[in-house]
Amino acid sequence: MSELIDFAASAVTRALALGAEEAQARASQGSHVQITRRGGRVEQATEATTRGLVLSVLAGGRFTSNSTSDLRPEALDAFIRRCVEAASYIEPDPERALPAPEECGRGVSQAALDQDDPAWRERTAAERNTQAEALEQAMASHADESTISSSVWVADGRQSVARVMSNGFADQNEGAWFVAGADTTLRDGEKRPESGASYAARHLSDLPDVQTIAREADQRARERVGAAPIESGSYPLVLANRAAGRILGILAGPLSGASLHQRRSCLAERVDTRIASPVLTLIDDPTIPRGLASQPWDGDGRIAQRRTIIDSGVLQQYYVGTYHSRKLGMPATSTGRSNWVVPPGERSWQDVATAWPRAIYVTSFLGGNSNAASGDFSFGIRGRLVENGVLTSSLGEMNVSGNLLELLERLVAVGDDPWTWSSVVSPTLLFDGVSFSGT
Amino acid sequence: MTQQTASILAWFGQFGIDEAVIRQILEAATRDGVDDADLYFEHSISTAVGLSDGAVNRAHTSIDLGVGVRVVVGDQVGYAYTEDLSRTSMLRAARTAASVARSGGAPTPIATPYSAGSDHYPVHRYWSDVDLSERVPLVRAWESAAFARSDEIIRVQASFGDTDKRVLIARADGSVSGDYRPMTQAHVSCTAERAGQRETGSYNVAGREDLSYYDAARQQRLVENAVDRALRSLEAGKPPAGEMPVVLAAGSSGILLHEAIGHGMEADFNRKGISIYANQMGKRIAPDEVTIVDDATLPGARGSLNVDDEGSKTERTVLVEQGTLRSYLHDRISARHYGVAPTGSGRRESFRHPVLPRMRSTYMDAGPHDPQAIIASVERGLYCETFANGSVQIGAGDFAFYVRHGYLIENGKLTRPVKDVNLIGSGPKVLESIEMVGNDLEIDEGGWTCGKEGQGVPVSQGMPTVKVRNLSVGGGR
Repeated sequence: MSELIDFAASAVTRALALGAEEAQARASQGSHVQITRRGGRVEQATEATTRGLVLSVLAGGRFTSNSTSDLRPEALDAFIRRCVEAASYIEPDPERALPAPEECGRGVSQAALDQDDPAWRERTAAERNTQAEALEQAMASHADESTISSSVWVADGRQSVARVMSNGFADQNEGAWFVAGADTTLRDGEKRPESGASYAARHLSDLPDVQTIAREADQRARERVGAAPIESGSYPLVLANRAAGRILGILAGPLSGASLHQRRSCLAERVDTRIASPVLTLIDDPTIPRGLASQPWDGDGRIAQRRTIIDSGVLQQYYVGTYHSRKLGMPATSTGRSNWVVPPGERSWQDVATAWPRAIYVTSFLGGNSNAASGDFSFGIRGRLVENGVLTSSLGEMNVSGNLLELLERLVAVGDDPWTWSSVVSPTLLFDGVSFSGT
Repeated sequence: MTQQTASILAWFGQFGIDEAVIRQILEAATRDGVDDADLYFEHSISTAVGLSDGAVNRAHTSIDLGVGVRVVVGDQVGYAYTEDLSRTSMLRAARTAASVARSGGAPTPIATPYSAGSDHYPVHRYWSDVDLSERVPLVRAWESAAFARSDEIIRVQASFGDTDKRVLIARADGSVSGDYRPMTQAHVSCTAERAGQRETGSYNVAGREDLSYYDAARQQRLVENAVDRALRSLEAGKPPAGEMPVVLAAGSSGILLHEAIGHGMEADFNRKGISIYANQMGKRIAPDEVTIVDDATLPGARGSLNVDDEGSKTERTVLVEQGTLRSYLHDRISARHYGVAPTGSGRRESFRHPVLPRMRSTYMDAGPHDPQAIIASVERGLYCETFANGSVQIGAGDFAFYVRHGYLIENGKLTRPVKDVNLIGSGPKVLESIEMVGNDLEIDEGGWTCGKEGQGVPVSQGMPTVKVRNLSVGGGR
């Protein structure tokens, strides 16, 4: 047992001693560093070591969840007392319970998850500075008279999390992360369009080299120059792999046990029915080695496992944790999403798009939102016009709108280019007949 | 030292913080010679209770405690923080923050007026002195009232949250300011069902207030608006897609100002030359009727501050005066860069975050027009009433905001309800194309949070009824 587990366990023990019948604690500690450079100098450097405790208790059938960063022994005891006392003021909730002990644990070892890169502990301030300077120099090599300003950042951190529950569960997980990115602002008449590229990885050696990051950041900004809307209408949508998470992410709300219970899910009573084109399969996989959203257990401490959410267009399951499983009378699955994977197709998106005289390639979004009850969505977009599979003029000041379920039915193909730098690992997605507003 | 500061300093005494400790940490932070440095101590106690399925059966409490140490050399910032207020830990944070300052430079603190002791959010009772049992009946009453208002409501969720936050800011020049910052927020959300169709509606209120904030009228608005929005959504459709005239209702339409100009006036973006409003100071950017303000002094507003998060006095800052750009929003770094006084806009989410220039309560002053005449002037367009969120590209000037509820305007009248559309436009173009400003300024009572560089801070916004010539509406086919 580690010190962190011992600390979490002592909070659980104290809560039980004060009268709670069940308790769970999540103790965390971590460190992180971020350096931002602009104009040949460090603009900002942040460094911190952090810690905290989250404690949930069930006392007299009443549930409270609580957090604190004041871990002085005398303060901690007062905090735990307050967690238990707070329960006495509210009403019982018969559906609150910890999962059965046999459901809890880890489905994949710390070693197999491979999230804790040993390179993190060996990294020195000098290495970090060197990487940031190299990235800034790489950005400078792309600068021309239209470049107003560029900035670059490198960051990394490591976090340890211990979970202890009064049902006997006790475990700990460690993960490191590394980020490198750059952005640039260009002159474009009165406008100053900006864009960039940022990459995250669990292992330092998985980050792209600084030339790749700089080239992409510069190119993405240059693609914004001259952006303008085209006429409103129905166009094929080519949704870039790195932007696909924003649209697929709309699914997370209506798939959740909380939405089902509040009867605000457009996917209610749809398991085993078709909700998308047969081209779409969506997998939730918390077990991917080095995955950005990989995790050994879910939010309830339940063993994390790979799940198929949509199989060739057919909905397979919801995200239902212990609480909503009891509320809804459904089997528990998982409290929420981890890595999402859309298996790639065999053709490039350019190949598929050749058939379309005019399509809209969406590279990023501006604002927008969706409605979980109806599936309606509306987002601002930036991107390029695609004419017969070839990228042409830059587009901006346009919206894409529709209904999620109608959109997913219109998915005609998935590209062969999965984007692995996100917790949504999707290839470029191609939809036909999507509504865009412009001029 | 004001009485407020003295009482906050005494509060932090329970964590071992006193003037001698503050001096010692600041000395460690400034040993190598720096332009500016500050310590930001924060302690907050938050409570929330929630209701679903007829029972107030969730309670959340949280305590946050820590200190952020910032060291500034020119425009270079070193930042470190710790949740551990032991002397060892704070000294380590101070040395870390100071490490960027090693290149040297003499301290040249600029003179700043400190909090005059005016209090924009006085309370009669701290939230810590309000028993949980006083909150529970309120939340239960909101649920009952929501179900009572319509048979078509099938689910109600309600929550009530509050925070007692105390901050203490100590600067390298020896000044110390303290502030007690209350916050409360209530939220009601309903699901309505009619003929198999389900829709949701919600409403929330928020302010730097005590329990007396929840008078009968406010509680009634909270419930009735949530229910009515859900019911109205059942009848709403999509507007046609494309560019059209837009009338923004008084109140939360201030989101347009927040996105179209507010962020672009934050001085850090201008100092770096990456805002579309860089080098535009003193230029005309909107018609005479348009005066836009960012104000920290509205009584009890969620966005108000007695003193900002780096110890500067706050104010009502006029961004645009009768159509002309007048002032950016400054923190101390940008104020030094531009050679002006800070506007009290230096804010941070918590001690874990460095200071950035941020908005507080952003609104447009009232104009001359009758709101009904503004609607009547539009032959065919969109009336936007409630909003979910917005976003902006600072340099390109493109901004967007999401309209949850609105109406079509046909022949000068509000006709069919519409829902869930994103609107997008160019900030400078939209400001130029403001055609009428109403005489009905309203500050929205909702709990808005502004995000920038990963930091969320509470803000308010307001607007009179305003007509914009053209915006691109994300409608249906």
